[in-house]
Amino acid sequence: MLDQYGLIGALTIIAFAFPFVGLGAAWLVRPKRPDPIKNSIYECGMETIGDTWVQFRAQYYLFALMFVVFDIEVMFLYPFAVAFDQVGLFAVVEAIIFVVMLAFALVYAWRKRALEWQ
Amino acid sequence: MNISDTLFLAPELILLLTGFAALGVDLALRRNTDGRASAIVALVGLLLAFVAALNLAASGVNAVIASTMAVDAFALFFKAVTTIGVALVILASMNYMKGRSKYLGEFYALLVFATLAISITVSATNLILVYLGIEFLSITSYILAGFIRGDKLSEEAATKYFLYGATAGAVMLYGISLLYGATGATDLAAVGRALSASGANFYLGIAAIIFLVVGFGFKATWVPFHHWAPDTYDGAPTPVTAYLSTASKAAGFAVAARVLIIAMPEFATDWTNYLAALAILTMSVANFVALKQRSVKRMLAYSSVAHAGYILIGLAAIGSDPTFNGLNGLLIYIIAYIFTNVGAFLTVMAVERQAHSNDIEAYAGLVRRAPALTLLMTIFLLSLAGIPPTAGFIGKFFVLGAAVQQDMLVLAAVGAVNVVIAAAYYLNVVRYMFFVDEEDEGPQISLGGAGLGSALVICAIMVFVIGIFAQPFITWAGQSVNLVIAAGF
Repeated sequence: MLDQYGLIGALTIIAFAFPFVGLGAAWLVRPKRPDPIKNSIYECGMETIGDTWVQFRAQYYLFALMFVVFDIEVMFLYPFAVAFDQVGLFAVVEAIIFVVMLAFALVYAWRKRALEWQ
Repeated sequence: MNISDTLFLAPELILLLTGFAALGVDLALRRNTDGRASAIVALVGLLLAFVAALNLAASGVNAVIASTMAVDAFALFFKAVTTIGVALVILASMNYMKGRSKYLGEFYALLVFATLAISITVSATNLILVYLGIEFLSITSYILAGFIRGDKLSEEAATKYFLYGATAGAVMLYGISLLYGATGATDLAAVGRALSASGANFYLGIAAIIFLVVGFGFKATWVPFHHWAPDTYDGAPTPVTAYLSTASKAAGFAVAARVLIIAMPEFATDWTNYLAALAILTMSVANFVALKQRSVKRMLAYSSVAHAGYILIGLAAIGSDPTFNGLNGLLIYIIAYIFTNVGAFLTVMAVERQAHSNDIEAYAGLVRRAPALTLLMTIFLLSLAGIPPTAGFIGKFFVLGAAVQQDMLVLAAVGAVNVVIAAAYYLNVVRYMFFVDEEDEGPQISLGGAGLGSALVICAIMVFVIGIFAQPFITWAGQSVNLVIAAGF
């Protein structure tokens, strides 16, 4: 057991060393002749205009949270639907309770006006 | 899992329904802006869950449900104690929270859901449910800590809590994955068997303990995982502080005890030594920093960290002695501490609501402006200091007794010295309240309404009941830990 972890440890050290060795070797042998064009941003599109710290509306976050309700619903109901004929009445009742709980969350958000764009 | 098992989950089911009912009442009543209706629903539900937990405990049930949740005396003790603690917090916070937030229906529902999370966590016998329970508890707590939107301190409290919580959760999850990798099991008992069967891989066990303790230490505020605690306790709304420093902390201790005892008996000498070191560090650091605080709320925040150190002595000095097995000391300390500390923070809340300050100067000459409140605060501070015949003394007696019984004399000595250091800053508040003259005559301070007043009186009565008629509580704690001790030692 310890040997196997030792192997992982050795691999980790090699993995960390790999980029440093490569970049270090290139840094030693490459010619260094910088000019403004070479130093400009390239391959990443335009230079940015204005501040990059833009504030997003918190409401996007709220909608994303509401999406999670449906996300979770699919995640559990899909396997449940596939195994429907094997799971029995107990699981059906459980699934109904689960859906009712999620539906409550949706109703709550709706009544609290979380679904209206302000 | 069988249909009949749902009976054993009665406290959890009641709490779940109560949480939804508190939200539903908030939806149905348009004029629930002060959240009173939700608070009453939450109170009734918490009391029902408390009765259900006591009933189950009295029936001596010992079952494992869906092979992930143990309904045993140990879990039920924590369920009963924390539901009553949160109920006291809700009873007291109705007046205080009014006007501080527009979403008070959600506030009380979240407190109920946090209690549900505690109930699940203290029952968990599977590493995955341990993690999920702690995360559930943490996420509800983050929201509660930052509940007063627009208040910089409250936002800072929630942000710090969240950042520390996310990191501690990740580290703990890593520890769980190491354990799973070593044993191929997530069930605590199965992990324990696998670790003792295959001639236990020493290094892996030690690494797993260290990583797991980060998660538990974060919840239960053990130094050096306590950094979030003073700022969060100071900035969070005071009822939330009262809940975080008691019920939430108790859950951390319960889950730490269960995981370490059931899954790690093979490494008992290692983790008891490690926890003893953490206990010494926690008590000493927190008490010395508390000495210098000028804000009473912040001082109580550090004192709450220091108490985590005393409680930890119980877990570090665990053994098979019938009277002082350590774990029963931990339970007795927690029940004493919950009533004392909730009471202390509620007193701070009453002063803060009317004097608009937490500074120690606001307490100067309090005896003339608020004699009843001064008397109550003195009771809670004496209990925190561990002076008989209060509850705090019984708790300290049993944890320090366990340390002596296990021949951990250094731990016991450091604990005893720290009790003296702590007395200095507790009694300093008493000195201010009785003997320091206020600079200008402040307003008269009442008990702060029927809810807060009755919660304070209940806490004070319980401090004396546990301190004077201790035997039933000692017996209850002893019965609650018997099975867990027998499983591990």
